[in-house]
Amino acid sequence: MTTGLGATLVRAGRRLLSSLPALFGVLVFTFLLMRVLPGDPAVFFASGPNAGKEEIEQIRKQMGLDKSVPEQLVFYLSDIGRGNLGRSMMTGQPVLKDLRERLPASLELTFTALLIALIFAVPLGVVAALRPGSAVDHGVRLFCALGVCVPTFVSGLLLIYVFYYLLGLAPDPTGRIDVFASVPPQRTGFLLIDFLLAGDFEGWWAACKQLILPAVSMALFVIAPLARITRASMLVSLGSDFVRTARSVGLSWRKVVVTYALRNAILPVITIAGIVFSTMLGANVLVEKVFSWPGVASYALDALLSSDYAPVQGFVLLMASLFVLVNLVVDICYGIADPRVSIE
Amino acid sequence: MRFVSFRPASCVLATAALLLIATAPSQAQTRAETLRYVTGAAVNTLDPNIPGSTRESFALSMSTYDRLVAFGRKQLNGKWVFDLDTITGELAESYDVSPDGLKLTFRLRKDAKFQDGSPVTAEDVKWSLDRCVTAPILGKAQLLTGSLTSADQFKVVDPLTIEVTLPKPDKLALPNLATVYPMIINSKVAKEHATADDPWATAWLKEHTAGSGAYVVETFKPGEQVILKRDEAWNRGSANKPAFFKRVIIQSVPEPATRANLVERGDADIVVDLQASDVQSLEAKGKLKVISTPQYNAITFVSMNNQMPPFDNVNVRRAIAYALPYDDMFKAALFGRGSPLFGATWPDGKPLNGVYPFQQPVKLDLDKAREYLKAAGLPEGFSTTFSFNVGQASTAEPMAALVKESLGKIGIKVDIQKLPDAQMSTQINEKKLPFYTEGIVAWLPSTDYFYRNFYTGNQRWNYSSINNPDLAAIAQEARFEPDKAKYEEDGRKLNAMHAELMPQIMLWQPNQDAVMAASIEGYTYEFHRQVDYRDVSRK
Repeated sequence: MTTGLGATLVRAGRRLLSSLPALFGVLVFTFLLMRVLPGDPAVFFASGPNAGKEEIEQIRKQMGLDKSVPEQLVFYLSDIGRGNLGRSMMTGQPVLKDLRERLPASLELTFTALLIALIFAVPLGVVAALRPGSAVDHGVRLFCALGVCVPTFVSGLLLIYVFYYLLGLAPDPTGRIDVFASVPPQRTGFLLIDFLLAGDFEGWWAACKQLILPAVSMALFVIAPLARITRASMLVSLGSDFVRTARSVGLSWRKVVVTYALRNAILPVITIAGIVFSTMLGANVLVEKVFSWPGVASYALDALLSSDYAPVQGFVLLMASLFVLVNLVVDICYGIADPRVSIE
Repeated sequence: MRFVSFRPASCVLATAALLLIATAPSQAQTRAETLRYVTGAAVNTLDPNIPGSTRESFALSMSTYDRLVAFGRKQLNGKWVFDLDTITGELAESYDVSPDGLKLTFRLRKDAKFQDGSPVTAEDVKWSLDRCVTAPILGKAQLLTGSLTSADQFKVVDPLTIEVTLPKPDKLALPNLATVYPMIINSKVAKEHATADDPWATAWLKEHTAGSGAYVVETFKPGEQVILKRDEAWNRGSANKPAFFKRVIIQSVPEPATRANLVERGDADIVVDLQASDVQSLEAKGKLKVISTPQYNAITFVSMNNQMPPFDNVNVRRAIAYALPYDDMFKAALFGRGSPLFGATWPDGKPLNGVYPFQQPVKLDLDKAREYLKAAGLPEGFSTTFSFNVGQASTAEPMAALVKESLGKIGIKVDIQKLPDAQMSTQINEKKLPFYTEGIVAWLPSTDYFYRNFYTGNQRWNYSSINNPDLAAIAQEARFEPDKAKYEEDGRKLNAMHAELMPQIMLWQPNQDAVMAASIEGYTYEFHRQVDYRDVSRK
């Protein structure tokens, strides 16, 4: 078993190394793409009621846009090498600081949403696979179809309308914490963890309440792919020889379904969960906007609309790095779920 | 067994509910003394002079810094608006204008203190004004419009007196000192943070304040929220007492529907950037106070590039002016919330007065439009694009569809082009758009100011790219015209030229719809088009 784990780690390390060229490519590509876009950030940001040519030139100089593109690229790469992602014109802050403050918000939301989605999707998929063609199966299919065909911002607005506006159960949908509440000392940036560390359970519950609606509206959207893939791979594994054998030797229902069938069926679910996670992180911009969630996706969208180069480049780099990390984690999970994978 | 496992969860819920109830009364008390303002935009700097600063940053600086003088307020159709013609002292106890109009003398209040407790002196005022005209910041271009261009113009007479000299008797010099940029900074503090590269401490002031304003910044999260605390010693308000609210929360809520929900449920106190449809339904419900003020210093246009064929032909521009379905556009884009700038009747074909913006004598008349097209030599029409930016899509999109439909009837084929904001401003600056809709705003709305800034020169704000030497000369002359009757005459001439040349088509002045809790009082429409937190109070 130790050699299995070791092999997994070696494989993960090799994966990490081989992804570096891809990261570099992403870096250069995003840089060039932003320069090719037709908007000129200097003109956009010089939009005070009296901003003229002089102001535009000054902003251009401040952003380093007065130099040629290759020169800019060299400066940019050397800055990245020193861990400097540039400064955002929008917020006036260093991009690194912005991302560091906003990433935990996005991660907390995405993790919670994924957790909720998995808690619902896996049992739903299993139940549907156990009785294919039954009313239960059709019910699950209907639920999934509804989840997918309602866009997240619609479900978000509906949830706000019902739970905040009509019933008054949910707190006002403005960010991670009530504006009148105090923030815990920042340790991890994840409010749920920070509140626990500070021993403030009232605050923890307040942060949790803020999190529920956005997480649910995101989860609704991804339950469908997860449940469908669970169902499909459960069907395959329930029909396989080893399950028939297990049944014939009279193992308990629980042992057959959970230990043998589900463990074998879980691999594709992990793969999809990894992909779903990465997509959610970038694509939850609508949920972030609707719930005023101070996350990275809405930050990047605002930056893109105003042609603010540095934040967009920083965001893409962050996403690419996260994607690499998620793939690594998925790889390691494979090794744990199915020891055969690490043998290669 | 199953029910047992649910018990801990319900216990947690019950405890939490008890805790919430227990803390409720103390929260309610401070809630009444707190103003919660929600907005779709965000504050991005504490110094409004920084290039790229947002309108929210402008509004914030009005409360964190004082200026020498401030605009008074007046009632316009029963609503409070800022008054360009009444200028009162803020840090200045009183001021004099010399008879020849070349010298302004300000005497500072003896009791005025910065937020760190040190007194406001004439040295601080001079340093701040010098900074505004010397440093590479936004104030420079603004003060230029009031003939304030050099540090030599500001002289310290004694610790409480400062003198401003002007090269010409410029009417806009004094009002300029009441605008956002020439705020008075604590020069001792700022100088401590100045560096050789940055002698005016622009980097430090972007994230810190050193002012004498009514509110102190408690927390500043760029792009998210700002929390302000009242400065108890501040006494520059009209009644010589501190501002009403102890705390002000300025929070960014990007989704307009959420902002509407927040204010309707009473969780937010005031909001000024709701969608017209939401404002209408909230007004109909009657629970909230809705104050709609036409933004009388702003205009929405349909602009045509006067240098680009076919719009270089005046008859084409006139044809367009008679082919727009004004009433339908006004209803579709703004739900009629604003003041129209179309459909006037000029009995003798002459302007009614010399005030700009004015209601143009145009209305939808397709036969007349066809005649003009024929006169332009384009009886069959032509093809063009109509552009607007994404940020204005909610009003511009329905409007563009109506423009397309109506111009189609006289043979002009229109392609609608929706551009990201940065791209739109770039193309306008480079004069590449033939036909589009945009808006303008002037902080100091006077007829000559509008014509000089929006109808002359090869610069961004000259949307129509009109290049008419006569018009430019009259506007320039009017700037320094001391005689009111002559100024009015110049205005009439300019307005007549506008109607004749039709460089661009004025559509309307949209309303500023301020929606607030019924208990909020004192809201005033300010020149920066945001809420001045010092104006409002709670019953």
